[in-house]
Parts: sequence; structure tokens; C-alpha cells
Amino acid sequence: MKILSTVRFLIASVGISLAACHSSVEPQENNWTYAGGETTVFSTGPDAYTLPLANLNKDGLQKHLEADAMFAQQFVTEPAERFGGLGPIFNQNACESCHIRNGKSAVPAYSGDPSSGLLLRLGTESSEELPGFGNQLQTKAVFGFTPEGKISIEEREKIVRFADGMETKIRELQYGIQDSYIPLPASTRISPRMAQAVYGLGLLEAVPEEEILALADENDRNGDGISGRPNWVWDKQQQSIRLGRFGWKAAQPSALQQSAAAAHNDMGLSNPLFPEENCTGQNNCGGDEKMDISNEELELFTFYFQTLGVPAPRNQNSNKVKQGRLLFFEARCNACHVPTLHTGPHPIRELAYQTIHPYTDLLLHDMGEDLADHRPEGKASGREWRTPPLWGIGLTQVVNPQATFLHDGRARTIEEAILWHGGEAEYSKQFYMKLPKSEREKLLAFVESL
Amino acid sequence: MRRKISLFAAIAVLLLSACKSSSNDPQPSMNHEPVLTTTAQVILNTYQDLSQKAAKLQETTVLLRQVPIEAHLELARQAWREARSPWEQSEGFLFGPVDQEGLDPSLDSWPVNVSDLQAVLNSSHTITVEFLQQQEGTLKGFHTIEYLLWGEDGKKTVADFSDREFEYLEACAGALAQDAARLYELWSPEGGNYISNVINAGKGSKVYVSQKAALEEIVSALGVIADEVANGKINEPFSQKDLTLEESRFSANSKNDFANNMRSIQNIYLGQYEGEGDTANSLSALVSSLDASLDTRLKEHIQKAIDDIEAIPGTFSEAVFSHRAEVQKAQQSVRDLQDLIEGEVLPLINSIK
Repeated sequence: MKILSTVRFLIASVGISLAACHSSVEPQENNWTYAGGETTVFSTGPDAYTLPLANLNKDGLQKHLEADAMFAQQFVTEPAERFGGLGPIFNQNACESCHIRNGKSAVPAYSGDPSSGLLLRLGTESSEELPGFGNQLQTKAVFGFTPEGKISIEEREKIVRFADGMETKIRELQYGIQDSYIPLPASTRISPRMAQAVYGLGLLEAVPEEEILALADENDRNGDGISGRPNWVWDKQQQSIRLGRFGWKAAQPSALQQSAAAAHNDMGLSNPLFPEENCTGQNNCGGDEKMDISNEELELFTFYFQTLGVPAPRNQNSNKVKQGRLLFFEARCNACHVPTLHTGPHPIRELAYQTIHPYTDLLLHDMGEDLADHRPEGKASGREWRTPPLWGIGLTQVVNPQATFLHDGRARTIEEAILWHGGEAEYSKQFYMKLPKSEREKLLAFVESL
Repeated sequence: MRRKISLFAAIAVLLLSACKSSSNDPQPSMNHEPVLTTTAQVILNTYQDLSQKAAKLQETTVLLRQVPIEAHLELARQAWREARSPWEQSEGFLFGPVDQEGLDPSLDSWPVNVSDLQAVLNSSHTITVEFLQQQEGTLKGFHTIEYLLWGEDGKKTVADFSDREFEYLEACAGALAQDAARLYELWSPEGGNYISNVINAGKGSKVYVSQKAALEEIVSALGVIADEVANGKINEPFSQKDLTLEESRFSANSKNDFANNMRSIQNIYLGQYEGEGDTANSLSALVSSLDASLDTRLKEHIQKAIDDIEAIPGTFSEAVFSHRAEVQKAQQSVRDLQDLIEGEVLPLINSIK
């Protein structure tokens, strides 16, 4: 009992203690360390993406733990005593199956690999829906139903030569659909999407629209070759058009809608924001009118990742990292991977009014032909992608050694990811390729320190 | 239902690491490789045992299908309990391949997808290991086997089995044996050699940047399983008086599950599995060198948790309704153990260099 009460005391005072740490030990010039402001967490191991906001209050922590169990919960077929509602078609049966330890998934190890968290968005050149399949390929089905198809994967390598004459190989992945339950229309467009890490979304949600819109430069008035366009999407909860922020093409306006869409598309869990089954309109569809998860459950899922802390960068005092940071700016990586944003008000008050270092502008950019999927989404064209945040990126493969980079997981290393940049990022890539090896290593060391 | 982090661990890590991240402590660094080696060896031995016991379980299901008599059903049930034991003794270290390769859900998903299981049994689909390995974890693993061996009410007899159930059972035990073998192989130095990531922490390990990071993961995982037992496995059926929330209720094995989870903590802490291991280089020895009293208390707390769980009369299902005081006492002991791990041991590990 004594120990218990000591720990309870610690809970009560956690906010105060942390605040004290900040003011006493944080060197002014080193505030980059607090990537998530007061929410920042400091683990460097495989659990780095699993810690709650450092400043989360006691009630919040209790709720976070309850939500953690839901995030790991596997769902089963109706009728069920508990946790029913899965399917009839789905991609995985638990959130955690794609977001491995809250981080990224791996690409399929082989065609038809059922374990990967990579999914295919479907559509045509002019539509976000593919007739007979909807907007996403569900690769699994509860027994008695047929999966829409399996993902095929082929790998190629190509050689990239740096200005100094050195060469490296970068991997290209070709995805396709096999064993489709009905023939695929000729107009099919595929957009492969890797499950993303889920920490930090609460903070990004709390950045005011105006701050993001101020970074937009749709017509490139400043002539730097970089536009930055907002995606405008329908907010189902607020019943209005809002700025899209989440997902590879910024198609979701809020953390709640992001998790509702994932529950609906990826697990077949109908919910208040997406009340239909994900196979509605197809001849391979069953299920009932019943809502598979309630508003409370949906909010609990959402609360979980809204309240995950952002890991602090590491090795910020190393000279290599410091010089790498300068190169990052010199290469203009920061034009899209904007280092610093600020949060405004948020219902979860721990997220509010923080200075954060996510290295994203949350805007869409033309990334060139090599990365294009030719499938529009909202206002995003088939060549545009939302700048992914870089905070915590250096721990990606510590958390999941099989995880890789870019929307389709083609890049095995951060360097490969840089070398696939094109379009508005062409200048930055060329800058990188002209650097001598020792300088390239510094820039990489900086990105890996994040 | 498994959580990735528990409340107290979160706070302990946050508080301490936040304060220490930018201080310059002149304390010299110690070499913890022997402790990490001992711990990794406990993990490897547990998985080896699991792999062997799972293979035995598979054999008994083959025999049961060939000669379906009560004695063979009992053999299979016993083999299930024996395979379940090392698995539960591995839940104090649910990191590495078991987590990253999707093996935990494949081996130990809960609840069972009873609707789909019935649909498969009612279908004409041939049930093989390959077929099951393409299904979700909720259609295979320990709990599906348990459901098939004991039935919903735990009173199944050989006469209650359909031919399809025997077929399913054999394939399901085959899939479990395959997963268990793979898990061992992934850790083994001759195979995936994941063990080297722990042993070589801070010395070229791809996973752990420092020995401290590896020790933190190991100790955190001990706290996570204590939390899971106290606040998940015991608390949910107990506080809601709802046996559909009890994980191993078909086999009435829950008390063994809980006790073996505590033994998992004990094995890692003492550096031995089934009485064998380099105890001189255990986590216990490390803690003892820094705080001898904490080491003694932790050993006592682990033993008390095991004793109190085993002292619950009857089955856990019965005790949820009829022996609530004893259940509560056991739950408190596990909570005390969790508090000690997360409130004192983890901060101690956090403070080393």
C-alpha cells in the first residue's frame, strides 16, 4: 500500500515534475529536443512509439491505457459474445496488426502475403472508387466470403550515381492485384499505401488551419519551385469542408475521421461516421444494419493515438548531426519538411499551445513521375503527396526492423527515400546527390537523429 | 487485449528519462553483457521448450483422431496444458520476433472466432495447416485448440466430437507447432539469431542502441505482464463478474496461466528456466549489487504473487463468484509486484549508465 500511494503521488505530480525538469536542464539552444513540446517522450528503444504524452494527466493516462487495450484488440465475426463486427471483408482484424508497435508495417514479403499492413487504394484516373471494389482492396474475408483480391508485388533495383562517381542501388516495387473476385476493370488505378506510424497525430490535429495555410503557396508566388497545396475534404462530423491533414494524401480532416475510416475500410467495422459496411453495393457483401462500433468506442480508439507522445530526437549535440542540420536547410528540405509548427486550442488540453518540431507542412506537393500513383484523392492529384512528418523517423527500424519508407514502402533506407524524391523536391535531391560522401552522411545522420 | 505499456511504467520512464536526458553524470559505465546473455538464454530456452511441447501436442491430436477414446482426449488436454505452460512463461518478454512477426496473434489470439469456426466446420473445405496459416489468429492458436478440446462448457467428451472437429484440431495443433518452431528458430543463433540483438546491445545491435535500452525493455516487459495479469486477465472477469472475459475458461486453466506469467517474471529475474541458468549473472544479481534490499523484496513479491494465485480455491471461474476475497488478495499481490517493478526496479535500471 505504501508503494502504491507513492506511485499515486507521482501520478498526481507528474505534470509539475516535468515542468521543473524542462526549466532546469534544458539548454536554450537545444530546444529541438522537445519535438512534441511538453508531450515529448524519451525512449530510444522498440517501445519508443508506445508511450503516452509526457504531460498527460492522471485521468487521461487511465483512459489511454483502456484505449491501448482496444487498439490491440482483435475483432471477430458476428454473432460473437465479445468484439464482433469484423468484415465481411477486411484487411486486418486489429489496429495493431498494421501499425506494428504503433509504427509502420513492412511491405508484403511475397505476393499474397497476408501479414503486411500495406494496402491498395483503388480508383480510376478520374474517380476515387473502382466499380465493384470501392476505394480499397480488402484482401481478407470472414469465412464464407471472398476477399476482393490479393496484392502481388515485384521488386526491381535501379542504380543511382552520385556526382562523386559513387553508386548505390534503390529499390522499386511494382504492385498489382491477383485472384480478384470479379475481373478488374481496365480503368483500374492502384495506389499502394503503407500503414503509417500513429504517434503525434493529436498534435498535428491541434495546429490551427491558418498556420498551415500560411505555408501554402499554390501558385508558387515566391518562385522557389515549391507550391504546397492544401487538400480540402468533407468533415463528416462537422458536416463542413475542412483542411485535410492525415493520410498519405491528406484526405482526412481529423483524428476521429482518420480512425473511423480505418475501422470502416481496414476492418469492416461500421461506425457512426461510416455507417455502411465496406462492401456495400457489391454482390459479395453480407452483414446487418447493426453499427459494429459505437461512438464511445470510436472515440476511445482515437484518444489512444491522439495521446501518444512524440519521441525526442537523439544525438543533438554531435557535430555530425549539427552539420547535417545545416545541410538539411541548405538543401531546402525544410521548405516542405517544415521544422517548427505551433498548436492552438484542442479538447485534449495537453496538446494545446505547444511548439512542436514535426518537419512537415501537412500540405500536398507534386513529387514527380516516379512516385506518382495517378489516382486523385480529394483535391490531391495523382502526382501529389502530403509531406510526411519526420519526427521519430530515425527510430522506424528500431521499432520494426522490417519497416521501410515512402508511401509504398519501396525505400529500404532513408537515403533511398531521398533519392526517390522528384517534382518539387528535385532541387533538394540534386543537392544531396552533388554532396561528397562525408557530407551525405552528415545529412543522413541528422535525419536519423530525429 | 494486450497493452503495450502500463501506467506506472509510463510514468516512471517519462519522469526519469525526461530529467536525465541532458544531465552529465560522471558515473562510470558498467558492462552488462553477461546479464543480457543470461536473460537472452532464458528466453531462448523457454521458446525451445515451447517448441518441443507444441510438437508433442500435435502428436496427441493425431493419435486422438486415429483412435478417438477418452484416454486420448485426456492425453491431448494434458499436452495442451504442458504446451501452454512455457507459452505463459514467455509472456514476460513479448518483444522481438513474437511481436514483429505476428506470432503472438497466431499463437494466442483471443477471443476465438466461434462464428467462423462453425462456418469452417460446416463447410466442405479441407482443413490443413496451410489452410489455417492463411486464417486469422482468432481461428487458430491455443484458444481455438482449447475450445475444440474442452467445448464451450468444458465438459466435452469424445462422443461429442465430429470428424470435422478432429480434422480441425489436428491441423490447428500442427499450425501451433509450426509457429512455435519458427519462434524458436528466429531467436536461435543458428537461425534468425535475434538473441544477438539482446546480447550485443550497444555493441552493434540493430535494435538496442545501448545496454541500458535493452535492460529497460526487459524490465518494462516484466511490468507489462504483471499489469496485464492484475488489471486485465484477473480484473476484467472479476470486476464485471463476466466469464466471457476470462481467457482460459474452457480448460479452467486460468490460475495456471496467471501463475506461469508470474514465473515468467521469476525466470527472467533469477536468470534461469526450469532451474537452469547462469544465476550469478542474472538481473537479480545486478539489482542486488545496487540495492540488496530491493532484490530481496522483489524475490519475495514474485513468490507471494505465485502463492496467492495458487491459493485461490477451485477454478478461477468459480472463484470469481464464490471466493472473491482470495481472488482480490492474489490480484493485490500481483499489483504490488507490478508497483515494485515499475516503481523501483525500472527507475533503478534507468539510473545506470
